[in-house]
Amino acid sequence: MINWQSFLLVALASIGFTTLVVSLFSFGMRLLTNSKHALLSAKKGKASAIRSEALNRFGAYGLFALCAFALIYGIYLIVPYFHI
Amino acid sequence: MDPILVVALVVSLALFFDFTNGFHDTANAMATPIATGALKPRVAVAIAALMNLVGAFLSTAVAKTISVDLINEGVNLGAEMVFAGLTGAIIWNLTTWFLGLPSSSSHALFGGLIGAAMAYAGVAAVNFPKVVEKVLIPALLAPLIAGIAAWLATRLAYLITARSQEQRKKTGIGTGRSNFKIGQVFSSSLVALSHGTNDAQKTMGVITLVLVSSGFQSSGDHIQLWVILSAAAAIAIGTYSGGWRIIKTMGSGLAEIKPPQGFASETATGVTILASSNLGFALSTTQVASGSVIGSGLGRKGGQVRWSKAGQIVTGWFLTLPAAGLVGAASAYITMMGPFGLLADALVTVAIVAGIFWVSRRNRIGHHNVLSEVEGASEIIASPRQVRAAAGKAAKAAKAAKGNSKSEKNGKGTAK
Repeated sequence: MINWQSFLLVALASIGFTTLVVSLFSFGMRLLTNSKHALLSAKKGKASAIRSEALNRFGAYGLFALCAFALIYGIYLIVPYFHI
Repeated sequence: MDPILVVALVVSLALFFDFTNGFHDTANAMATPIATGALKPRVAVAIAALMNLVGAFLSTAVAKTISVDLINEGVNLGAEMVFAGLTGAIIWNLTTWFLGLPSSSSHALFGGLIGAAMAYAGVAAVNFPKVVEKVLIPALLAPLIAGIAAWLATRLAYLITARSQEQRKKTGIGTGRSNFKIGQVFSSSLVALSHGTNDAQKTMGVITLVLVSSGFQSSGDHIQLWVILSAAAAIAIGTYSGGWRIIKTMGSGLAEIKPPQGFASETATGVTILASSNLGFALSTTQVASGSVIGSGLGRKGGQVRWSKAGQIVTGWFLTLPAAGLVGAASAYITMMGPFGLLADALVTVAIVAGIFWVSRRNRIGHHNVLSEVEGASEIIASPRQVRAAAGKAAKAAKAAKGNSKSEKNGKGTAK
């Protein structure tokens, strides 16, 4: 008997996890360019942009960290040694 | 012949197979980050080797698929038949590698073992339902799943980082997409890690199979530590030695893969292989990586599939298992002739291996045996630029045909 459920599990896990990681990273990239835009307007003398630059940049770092955490957690999940 | 001698022979052959596997697949993981300049070749190769080493320790599910599930309970192949299957796999693998045919070392291994088992004990020796569940269906589904994941992830990556042209012009700040190169350092490490989990385990499975069938171990449920250690080391050393090959592949067809696509497809490959290894599905990592490359190629606006090229590669994959099975069976019949048969089989294998190495050295490194097979898959996708070029060529040809009906041959404006 073929266990189709396990194939469904692989499909959902792979597609879901890949899109999650790539989306997190992409949003991080977007925030990073956002911060560059903010830096540009800050140089033009817009004071509030300095804050926006920092917010965007740290937001990006946060997303990259989340991305790394997701990967490490995913690997943790599949290593039997951690689940004895 | 002394059983210990045969076991030692099989173990060393299996480790050699593992070495060539690492050697062969370094490029699959590391060709893109090197091509995009994200990593220096030496560093990339070292990371790949380390990740393969670590990956080999992560799980043993795939090894058990080979040592327990492949052959029916109660059938004792004996070390000689495992040896025959392994030589069949190695001969088929090296021949296709030399001829530049798309093939899968994993399927060559399964084919060789199944062929030898069938030659020795008939069709009933092989546990076909398990072969279908753990090898054949994953072979069809995993590249498809990886392809869908890569396609979706590529779409999202482009969508999320999109900036309007006027905004880019006004500020001089781009989309930041080239920064995906940095992400690729991690995603390609993930591919190397997943390669270690799936491919190193196949060797562990074969070694355990021979230990069980020659009575050195009671059941294939347990993989001994020295088996894990040696398989991990062999694949890591192979990966490290494969480095010189990928240095030569730089600047080839890979330029058409942009950093976001590389990141998305590598993540899809790594995640799909890891998830599959976890459930004991013995995959061809090359096939999964190819599925991802195709998916990410289609995910970028304007990408197209060259179906004839895709058909060629997929046909090659389907041939691998039965063809390696035939070679495995032939080698089993020779081995069954007794100690001299086994000796003859070993000599033929060594001669073929040596011959191919000698000829490939003499011919220098040709285009066909240097490129990684995933790059072959990347040729299936026509990038937007290539599609435009083909359309332009076709329009020109149509124009010319209007004026002059003789210019028919120009009408075949295919992309490249």
